[in-house]
Amino acid sequence: MRTDRFGQAAIAGLGMTELGKVYGPSPRRLAAQAVRAAVADAGLTLDDVDGLLVSHGMSGSPGIELAETLGLRDLRLLTHMNAFGATAGAMVSYAAMSVISGAADTVACVFADAPLKPRQPAGSAYDSAAREYYGFTGMTAALGFRSVNAFYALAAQRHMARYGTTGEQLGAIAVATRRWAGMNPLAQMREPITVDDHQNSRWVVEPLRLLDCCLVSNGAVAVVVTSADRARDLARPPVHIWGWGQGHPGHRLERGSEFGLVTGAATSGPVAMKMAGVTADDIDVCELYDCYTYTVLVSLEDYGFCAKGEGGPFAASGALAPGGSLPTNTGGGQLSAYYMWGMTPLSEAVVQARGHAAERQVTKNDVILVSGNGGILDHHSTLILSPQPRGHRP
Amino acid sequence: MTDTGFGVLRRDGRTDAFFDGAAADQLMIKWCPACDRWFAPDASGCTDCGGPELVWARAGGQATLVSWAVSHARPRDDGSPAPAPAMLALVELAEGPWLHARLDGVDAGLLREGLPLAAAFEHPGEGEAYLVFRPTTGEEPADAHRGL
Ligand SMILES: [Zn+2]
Repeated sequence: MRTDRFGQAAIAGLGMTELGKVYGPSPRRLAAQAVRAAVADAGLTLDDVDGLLVSHGMSGSPGIELAETLGLRDLRLLTHMNAFGATAGAMVSYAAMSVISGAADTVACVFADAPLKPRQPAGSAYDSAAREYYGFTGMTAALGFRSVNAFYALAAQRHMARYGTTGEQLGAIAVATRRWAGMNPLAQMREPITVDDHQNSRWVVEPLRLLDCCLVSNGAVAVVVTSADRARDLARPPVHIWGWGQGHPGHRLERGSEFGLVTGAATSGPVAMKMAGVTADDIDVCELYDCYTYTVLVSLEDYGFCAKGEGGPFAASGALAPGGSLPTNTGGGQLSAYYMWGMTPLSEAVVQARGHAAERQVTKNDVILVSGNGGILDHHSTLILSPQPRGHRP
Repeated sequence: MTDTGFGVLRRDGRTDAFFDGAAADQLMIKWCPACDRWFAPDASGCTDCGGPELVWARAGGQATLVSWAVSHARPRDDGSPAPAPAMLALVELAEGPWLHARLDGVDAGLLREGLPLAAAFEHPGEGEAYLVFRPTTGEEPADAHRGL
């Protein structure tokens, strides 16, 4: 197997629209805006783009018609991708493979969503309550399974019952993430919080409290992937793509299932790290998908940063916070900064790799792990990124 | 009867056997005759042999608790009382399949992995009966095929 080409793709551009309560533009217009911004950020023009990978959230738009919106011509790669929260990592890996194989030279990858509506609680964007329910599936919804909150709560509770994980340990993740958010001007929630604040926040679905749950945001984020050689001559410092992986455990809901206790990160992590030529010990920074505090906790275990069952004590040790041994979700994550699905961890990884994170810049950024998570811990993607070319040894 | 706080449950034409069973206090799930393997009522085919011809069969109703969660209604803007919290669960039927379910008559402090449960049905004034699980003493399991 040839491995010398794996490190030959890089992220050269990052574009973000205004994020949060952005009510005007459609998801398609937001996506177009983000792609234009990412291309300009790289020092390129839309004429340089010959590949476009599109993904969307709850809004169901845009699809590949985005190419027409942008007026892109003679594309050599165009598709819509969906692995839920794992999509951003999957898009970047597909873009990297396309660049490495010569199928395309410059690939824009974009996510857009606009689930928030004016004068409507944020949670209702991902919730459904009806007057009538239909069939067996309807019965499940009627009995209270009306949003993903309930399913993640079952996962978290299973871990708590099995390993003694506590609500305070989940709170430590919320607190550490908010501390990072306080240093990110783009973060929607920047007021410091304490574990007491977490413990006093209202139940959503017990054992998950309001401060265990991510934000809901409108907006779009795009990155541009090109060859490492080309990226070196562009406007921004290249962010080299050392490795990637996916993991889809396919837990069946039946006797013996590890649902809730083991995620696809247990597969995607080793695949990506092996490709990158690193181990968990080499990771300097983690940007983890944090739809819930619990997602962070269980992902840390599955990536091997601590043993299975020890994610709670590990999080409570302060390791994830500013000054900790494993800086994690350094922009405030989805819990406190903005919820752009897999683009939230990816965008912060690019900023940290470039050394552009100002007050919150980590001192050591040679190896950055980016994690995506979709479904109910069903779909995972991992990227290993670095400001250094692959093979660099600190 | 438990106050669910939800709307009316109707049939969807694909799971009529489940609701016929529910009306008679019987838990109907799906079964692959070729593999002698049991599935949840919404399974579309056998994951082992690929056969699409799952048949409806009566489950014993015994189950154990896998995990649980308490759903709290969003506080109401006008300050009126929100509906009572719902005790949600993931349960493992004795036949093997897991169901997302509602617990009834449980003391939250006594919940644990493996807690023995039994299926029961609530019959609201309007709409179909719905499934709940209640703790059992563990000493008198329900007869698997009572009434057949
Ligand atoms: Zn079969």
